[in-house]
Amino acid sequence: MIYVLYGIVSIICVYTARHYWFTLNRLFGFQRHPYIDIDTADWPPVTVLVAAHNEERVIANILSALMTVKYPGDKMLVVPVNDRSTDRTREIVDEFVKRFPGRIRPFHRVTGRGGKAAALKDAMEMVETEVILIFDADYIPGSGLIKQLTAPFFDPEVGGVMGRVVPMNCGANLLTRLLDLERSGGYQVDQQARMNLHLVPQHGGTVAGVRLSALREIGGWNDRTLTEDTDLTYRLLLHGWKTVYQNRSECYEEVPETWQVRIKQIMRWAKGHNQAMVTYGLQLLFGQHRATLRERLDGALLLGVYIMAPFTMLGWVLALTVFYQGVAPLHGVLAILGVTAYATVGNMAAFFEIAAAVRLDGNCKRIRLLPFLILGFTVSIFAVSWAAFSQVKDALTGAEFHWDKTERYRKAAS
Amino acid sequence: MNPYLAVAALVVLCGVVFLLPLIPALVELKREEDGLALKVIQEHAGEIRYFADGFRNYIKALEPTLQECLVSGGTAKGRMPDGAEYLVLGRREEAPLLPLEQRDEICPVVLATRADLVLPSATTFSRDIYAGGGFIGGIENCYRAILGDKDVRLGRGSRVMRWVHAVGEFRADEGCQLYGRISSDSAIRLHAGCSFLRLNAPRIETGPATRTEDQGKRTSSRPLNSPRMLYDHDFQIGAGNEFVGDLVVRGRLRVGAGARVWGNVKSGGELIIERDVLVSGTLISATRMHIGLGCTIRGPVIAERELEMEAGTRCGSPECPTTVSAPNITSAEGVAVFGTLWAREHGQVVKKA
Repeated sequence: MIYVLYGIVSIICVYTARHYWFTLNRLFGFQRHPYIDIDTADWPPVTVLVAAHNEERVIANILSALMTVKYPGDKMLVVPVNDRSTDRTREIVDEFVKRFPGRIRPFHRVTGRGGKAAALKDAMEMVETEVILIFDADYIPGSGLIKQLTAPFFDPEVGGVMGRVVPMNCGANLLTRLLDLERSGGYQVDQQARMNLHLVPQHGGTVAGVRLSALREIGGWNDRTLTEDTDLTYRLLLHGWKTVYQNRSECYEEVPETWQVRIKQIMRWAKGHNQAMVTYGLQLLFGQHRATLRERLDGALLLGVYIMAPFTMLGWVLALTVFYQGVAPLHGVLAILGVTAYATVGNMAAFFEIAAAVRLDGNCKRIRLLPFLILGFTVSIFAVSWAAFSQVKDALTGAEFHWDKTERYRKAAS
Repeated sequence: MNPYLAVAALVVLCGVVFLLPLIPALVELKREEDGLALKVIQEHAGEIRYFADGFRNYIKALEPTLQECLVSGGTAKGRMPDGAEYLVLGRREEAPLLPLEQRDEICPVVLATRADLVLPSATTFSRDIYAGGGFIGGIENCYRAILGDKDVRLGRGSRVMRWVHAVGEFRADEGCQLYGRISSDSAIRLHAGCSFLRLNAPRIETGPATRTEDQGKRTSSRPLNSPRMLYDHDFQIGAGNEFVGDLVVRGRLRVGAGARVWGNVKSGGELIIERDVLVSGTLISATRMHIGLGCTIRGPVIAERELEMEAGTRCGSPECPTTVSAPNITSAEGVAVFGTLWAREHGQVVKKA
């Protein structure tokens, strides 16, 4: 039992070191933004897919925003992927089609497997361009975003592009403010550090792009997964395509405003991520493919982020058990030193990362909310652990995954 | 002491110590002083003419005065709606007679004219300048910003701190330091010794004017979906060889003299392009790039660390403008870029070897 505990503690220490490495790189390292300066070019034709399932509250906002972006009108086609909506989504999309003839070609899907990946897979019949950009319907792209997300595709090594997601409803309540902090840490530090260090920036499936030839090479969208973005990241990596992150290509999104919705969201992410870990983990680490050694290691750690929650909980249980059994790990003194050192430095790693991110964003006062993140972390650790447990149960009983759509809070555009 | 009281006191004390770090958090949660969404839509970051357009709107208030001075040939002084002092000139000859005739003088007013503007030397213009006619600056001047409706020419050793936009041609004589954005609707010419950061014009040239052929017309556009070849180690394209398709090399790449590459090229290491090479697509290096004499690159050119361009290099074409970008750029005289030339940290024009 004690050796299992040692193993868990060792892995936790690796993740702690990774947090510090990323944060220090972001604060003091060389920052890579190689494609952001491409403002003049012979822009290629692009197709913008807008995934929409019952999005009557938000679909008009994103279509309006896309109609005003700075990209040659004759080179950009917007395809709203209306996935079996039962509300007014279809009607709103069709109104836009009439208002902007030739610029929007809707894909109304009425049957088929549920989920975003399945909808995108079916919508590929509408796509003829090499560059595909993807947005969820609750996002609002700025005028320069399409060019910024397209620019990396001039690099023949790039198969996928990911922009930065910024919560627009962060002031709604404590949860949204905590999610705002988490997003800052995740994008401003984690993703950008991976970009700086030539590691594995993660494709997020929205505010993102993918190269058609790369997508075809890896076998298209995988509609058997809950997180098509993670799945895409790893399949691109295994085939020698890079996913790049553009920290300055920001786009507003809505974050969940209730804990219930947040828990559902993070459970879906955890299940999808774990699914990718099982599918690609060993192949990534030991298989014959084009990923570099550092990409293999970072990719494996990235795959393991959600499984660390149940491992951490198991670690707590084991630690208490060995304590009450009277076992002194590492002859007592070393253990006390280790625990003290970890309590001083290790526990702070995630907070340090988020504090650095908020500082880099230039926001001073929201950093005060940092202590409340313990609340968010606690909820996440239990939700993600439960997701892992139920995933194992589903695998044993043969139950199918099902897709939970994230609720929207915005008032419908008139 | 009563033991129950002691325990209660300990619990209260622990509670206070635990809650102490939460006080600023609770204050922020209550007051929401920093609860707005992060401001991410920054038009000024992408659009090079953003500040020039803003200044053009700003001086619209001076339109009647500018017209009046042009007709009368007189001058006018006053204050802009924001309180800034302005000086409108009616005639070209007046500028040298302004209270600027002393060396190292500072001109702290917004200067505007519909006529040509010829400025004295060794002067610091700490406010923006608008010239409806041609603009000729003296030597070793320092400018905050200039908007010119015709040609703008800066004298030797001048400095620009923020931006210049010329509707006509922009020209900087030897040794100018251009710290901000320089844009022109026509052309930009920088002479040897000039340093720069961000330039945008249909045609950007370094060194003295020479008759150059538009080779860009001869190259065909490459689509982004050419077949891709991926090499994990160093690679070389031999001199005079032709390569068709996209090429990704994770090590160093050398393209031999006179080679033709019909596709996009990426190198994870150093990228050396020898003389007279033609690349029909993009050229990207994750480290350092050297482009030899007389090369033609049609697509964007990106070096993540350093870029050197030798004489005769042409990037983009009048029909298909492009972007050349690197943190540090060294360009010899005789280089032409059609579109954007952007050195994030430092760009320098050097004399031909």
